[in-house]
Order: sequence, then C-alpha cells, then structure tokens
Amino acid sequence: MEPVIMMPQIAPDEFLRIFIVATLVLVFGVGYAALLTLAKMGVVSKKFAPFSYLFWILQVYSLYDLSVLIHSSPFTAKVLAVAMVAYLFAPHLYFYLIEQSEERYGNSKE
Amino acid sequence: MSGKKVSVWTSITFWRRSAAWVTGTATVLLMWLTFNTMGQIAMGSDEDLQNGVTKRIPAPTVINYKIDYKMDEKRGHEVPVIGEKQPFFGKEWSAEEAAELLRHGKLTQQAKNCMNCHTLLGNGAYYAPDLTKAWLDPKWNDGTMTGITGKDTVEEAMAEFLMHPSQYPTHERMMPDLGITREEAVALVAFLKHMSAIDTNGFPRNFSQSAKRLEGGTHAR
Amino acid sequence: MLASIKSNEFKYESQKLAMNYFRVAIVLFGAQLLMGLIAAIQFLYPSFLFEVFDFNVARMVHINALVVWMLYAMIGSVYMLLPDETGIEAVGIKLGKLAFWVLTAAVAVVVLVYIFVQVGPGNEATIWLINEGREYIEAPRWADIGIVVVVLVFYYNVFATYTKGNRTGIMTVLVADLFALAGLYLCGMFFTDNISMDQYWWWWVIHLWVEATWEVFVGSLAAYGLIKILGAKREIVEMWLWIEVLMLFGSGILGLGHHYFWIGTPEYWWEIGALFSALEPVPLVAMFVHVLYDWGKEQGHAEAGQQGHAVNNTPAMAWIAINAFGNFLGAGIWGFFHTLPQVNIYTHGTQFTAAHGHLAFFGAYATILIGMMYLGVQGAYGIKKMTMTFKTKMAIGLIVFGVLGMTVSLTVAGYEQVLVERADLGGGWDAYFIAQELPWYLQAQGWRLTMGLVTFTGFLFLVADLLTIGKTEAAKEEEVQAAAA
Repeated sequence: MEPVIMMPQIAPDEFLRIFIVATLVLVFGVGYAALLTLAKMGVVSKKFAPFSYLFWILQVYSLYDLSVLIHSSPFTAKVLAVAMVAYLFAPHLYFYLIEQSEERYGNSKE
Repeated sequence: MSGKKVSVWTSITFWRRSAAWVTGTATVLLMWLTFNTMGQIAMGSDEDLQNGVTKRIPAPTVINYKIDYKMDEKRGHEVPVIGEKQPFFGKEWSAEEAAELLRHGKLTQQAKNCMNCHTLLGNGAYYAPDLTKAWLDPKWNDGTMTGITGKDTVEEAMAEFLMHPSQYPTHERMMPDLGITREEAVALVAFLKHMSAIDTNGFPRNFSQSAKRLEGGTHAR
Repeated sequence: MLASIKSNEFKYESQKLAMNYFRVAIVLFGAQLLMGLIAAIQFLYPSFLFEVFDFNVARMVHINALVVWMLYAMIGSVYMLLPDETGIEAVGIKLGKLAFWVLTAAVAVVVLVYIFVQVGPGNEATIWLINEGREYIEAPRWADIGIVVVVLVFYYNVFATYTKGNRTGIMTVLVADLFALAGLYLCGMFFTDNISMDQYWWWWVIHLWVEATWEVFVGSLAAYGLIKILGAKREIVEMWLWIEVLMLFGSGILGLGHHYFWIGTPEYWWEIGALFSALEPVPLVAMFVHVLYDWGKEQGHAEAGQQGHAVNNTPAMAWIAINAFGNFLGAGIWGFFHTLPQVNIYTHGTQFTAAHGHLAFFGAYATILIGMMYLGVQGAYGIKKMTMTFKTKMAIGLIVFGVLGMTVSLTVAGYEQVLVERADLGGGWDAYFIAQELPWYLQAQGWRLTMGLVTFTGFLFLVADLLTIGKTEAAKEEEVQAAAA
C-alpha cells in the first residue's frame, strides 16, 4: 500500500493569508535577486547590496509561514529549508557565471 | 588543456550536456511513473466488483451498484464506496452492455462538447457545475430534480433533463438544448455514474457534507 | 503589416513566408478576443445568444483561436529567424508555402464548422468531422492528421535547413524542442472510454506544451531577440540558453504531476507535482534577471560610447521585457499560489485557473510573439533603428492594463468560489450556483468584461500600429538620411 498522507482541512478564513503569503514568497524571492543584481550592475549603489539579504530573510519567513498554514509534513519542511539555503547561493553562482563567461567570451569581438 | 585556464562553468559544452542529461533523466522518470500510473488507472473488471476489490477506476458494470461517497479516516478524505446492487434504468446491465453504454456515453460527452461549460474531474470550463460527482449530487438525490422532471429515479430524471434542459430551468443560467437523444441521454447518465465511482483522492473536498450544510442554508454563518 | 506586401526588403523567401504566418496569427488573435468578449457577456447576461451561439461554442473558439494563433506566430518566428541563424534560405520553401495555404484553409474550415455546426451526435463521426470535445485540442481528427502533415513539412524545412547551414546553439535547441513539441501532439489523438486515461494523456499535450516545450521555445526566441536587438554576445546568450533549457525541462517535465492530483491517478503525484511545480518559477526568475541584465549592460555600453549598440527596435524590446516580467508574474506567481495540493484541492476548477491561464498565456507567449511581429515589420521595411510610436505605447499600455485587470477580477471571483463553494459548501450543484450569484462574483465578472474591452481597444491600436509603423519609421529614417546628406 502507498503511504498514507493526510490532507489537512483548511478553514475559510485562512485562505486569504495562504494566497498572500504564497505570493510574498515569490515577491521577496525576486526582490532578493533583483536588488542584488541591480547593486551588482551599479544601477543602485553598492551599499544597498546587504539589504537584499533582508528580502531573503523575509522570504524564508514567508515560506515558513506558508508551510505552517498548509500543515506541511516534517519531511516537506526539511526540503523547504534546504531549498531556501540553496536559493541564498543561487544569485552568487549566477554572478560568478556571468563574470567568468564575460571573461572568456567577452573579448572576442564579432 | 590549453594554456589559458578556463572554468568548466563557462563551457557551453558542459551546459549542453547537463541540459541533455537532466532532460533525459526527467523524461525517463516520467515514463517510469507513467507505466506505474497506467497500471493503477486501468479500468477494473466485473470480477473485481463482484469480489469487492477496490479499483481507482472501476469496471463499467459499476452502474449496477449503489455508489456512496464516504469519509475515509485512514486517508483523511472522502472516497467512493460501492454498495449493494441497484437497478440502472430498471435492469441489470451485462459486462458487454455496460461497456458499450459507457463508450457511447463518453463519445456523447465529447461530441456535445460538455467540457467547454462544465468541468470533469475539475478540468474544463467554469460556466456550469463540476460533473465529477454529479451522480451523487444532493440536487438529484433529495427529490428536487426528480420532482421538477416528474420522474421516479435519479437516472430517469437526469436523462429527461439532458434531453430537454431548457424546459427545466433552475437558474437564469441554463443548459442549452444540444439535441441529445434518449439513447445518448441514457449513455451520458451511465458515464456520469461511472465517473462518480472514480477515486479522485478526495476531490471535490467535503462534497458529502454539502447536503448537510445546505439544509441549514446558511453559508454565511 | 498588410502594407508590407508592398515594401518587402527581405533577402529570404523564408522571411516573406513568416510574414504570412504573422498576418493570419493577428487575425486569429482578434477572433480570440471577440469570442472571449461574447463568453464574458454570457457570464453576466446568460440569455445573450442562448441556444444560438452558446457559451460552449464561444469558449471553444476562444481557446482554439488562442492555441492556433500562437502556433502560427511560432511557426512564423521560426521562418523569420531561420535564414538569420543558418545563413541560408529555407531548403523546402515551395513546400513550406504550400503547407501554409493548406493549413490556413484547414483552420478556416474547422472554425466554420465549430461556429455553424457546433455539436454532433454521440458517435465516432462527430469526433472525426466536427469536434473532439477535449478542451484546447478540440480540432476534429481529420484536422489533427492534417496538422501533423503540415507540421512535418515545417519540421522538414527546419531540420534540413539546420543540417545544411550554420548549426548555431539556438538552432540546435529549436530543432530538438520542435521535435518534442510536434511529437507530443500525437498523445492527444486517440479515443478512450476511460476519462482518467483520457485526461492523463491530454495533459501530456497541454502541460508539456505550455510548461515545457513552449517555454523553451520562448527562451530560444528571447536569445535570438537579445542578439538581434541588443547585439548581445552569442556565446554568452547561448550558454544561458542551455542553462535555461536545463532548468525549464528539469522542473517542467515532472511538474506535469500537478495536473494529476485529482483525476483518478495515485497519490504519489502530490509530492512529485508539488516539488517540481514549486521549482518551475526558478527558471522564470533567471530569465527575467538575465534579459534585464543584458539590456542594462548593452545600454550602458552604448551610453558610455563604447562598442555594443543600443536597442535597435524598441517596440520589440519592450514586448520582450514585458514577456520576461509577465512570464514570471503569470506563470510564476499566479501558478505557484495554487499549485500545492493542500491548496489546489480547493482551487482546482475555479476561476483561479482562468486567472492564471489569462495572465500566463499573455505574459509568457503573446508578448514575445508580438515582439517577433515587430521584428518582422522592421525587416520588411529594412529599418535600421525602429522606435515606438504613439500607437505602440497605447497598445502596450491598454493590453497590459486590460489583461492584468482581467486577471485580478478573475482572481477575486476565484477567491470567492474557493471560500463559499469549496471550503464552506463542499462543491456540488447548489454550492456552485450560490457562489456564482453572490455580488463579489458578479462584480468581478463585470470588471472582467470591462477589462476585456480595454484589452480589445489595445488590440485595435496594436493592429493599427503593425500596419503603419513600418512605413512611418522608414520615412523618418529616409528624412534623417536626406538631412545628413
């Protein structure tokens, strides 16, 4: 037999919070990536770069809140924690790739 | 290695190969899961029904049985429960007859384009009620629609409604007359009864409670 | 665009053929919007065209016109970039032109049958001749086979041209992606009396198109656009394209699981669907950041007077930028907040899905395909640097505002349905109609219709702009040149 997964009951007055929090997860996620990128590009001052981590923290909190609201299993909660740590490094990997690829391909002009 | 040190991370070949491997792995996994799912959603047989073996999609002869929708404490949601025998349009249908009827019903469902107003298993358009558990709907089972159509059984009432939907309006938004014949209507009702016996992992949620709740008539409570 | 028949600066026949595909696409886009308006009116006034042109017909033509115009614009985009990428003319261009007319004739017949015959008796003949009754892929079986033949001709053209000309990375991705895209259509071409089996394979076509192969297709178009419009470095763009392919297919293929929560399929799809569809927004974020980064960088180079050049087609670039954002917003946010099974059991089959569908199809696909049309017009007139006109701005403003407005309205309607019909009343006939008749729902539908009209007005500006911008901009460029000489 398959493992039994209980589908939790959600009270009507919890839905609005769930939808908003789910949206915030992505909004803060983009906020983190965007602010870091903008600082890197020099569109905004480099001084703002540390503030992007504030967005990441807010995102972690939103995702935590979401997982509580939808009654996630302990296993799912652990997967989410790992995913959030991975996302912390994602933009840095991205910039590393951009810099390296610029260095490798950027000089050979068309 | 050439003299200039280059990172593997900027190698187009590396990313092309990675993309191919990831796509390939995902595809293989999907195929493997598909084989498993195909086995689980293949229609059961008439013997399964007679022996009380539960299948996610029962045999067409499930139309010969009473179908209920009950809370399963272990799974945490409602599941269809197949009960004792119950005549369908006043008779018991053989395995061949039932299969032929279900096939005709499914064809009619497609030919009449039901899915572009209704949802079936939750998929389709949102202009009319979901049909997943229509057979079990309180509206058909509490005397309302049997009363309006003047029929004794749920199947007769459904067939009559399907043939002349705009003669029995219940709301301003009505079902149009789609030229459904008596044979097609009977087949459609069989299709709906069969669909209500499909194990949908508890969708729609709390369906069996709707009858109780609506009696109070206070969704705003 | 029609006027571009007169002005045709294209070097390649393939690109002239592309313009034909764009012309039909824009007509079908208009048809899609008109049908949507009829359906929106019927939500508010159910007696409108009752038993004359019912909701199911309007809805069917609405979504079919959508799919078909996008396929037309996609084929057009490929014929447009094919000579640029491979450096040669499409190999079987005569066959390609014939296929265009065959396909267009078939589409016309199918639409006329939809509109005038509508439904048929419940037998095989209806499925072969009138409609198949399966959402999005209603086309009758004869048309299915015709589409397969035409697509084979198209694919032959792409593949043969690819093998003969330059094999760029963008072309490699396209050749592989189009093969999957065409092959998946076959999954929707059989009949089964098992509704769960039916929907299982039906999603292979729908999901693996719009959340996997179409997304990769858009990634390729964006890559081509960045090189063509911004002069971005090919190696860098192609490296990113492969990373995007990795992420899109890595999440999108198994993301299919989020359609298998409630159709009779086993429970293990809950975890698979939740995990992979939660990952689906990640590549969309990456694409978004990538497009903006490249734009900012090239713009910066140009302003600093260095090499690299500024945007040479601002309307196209604007639509591609909206695409990057719209893809994230429509497919990412609007998809994510109802994709987890715990929430989806309440939202499945409500107007939430419609809200997501409207914004995602627009944001992810309509935008970039419109961008490709502007690139086509630029090529047809041989304009070096095309800039936005008043009409371009009106079109962008009204369409974006209209679609966002519709999406928000439908989200409100869906939210009301979730609370009243699903969470409280548990679904069923009465629950459904109680939710449909509450003021929140009706007002939301009212706003949806209003915003639909706004979108349609924007569409009129778009058509007017596509028809005239080439001539205006070409004349402007000539004037500047004359003044300089």
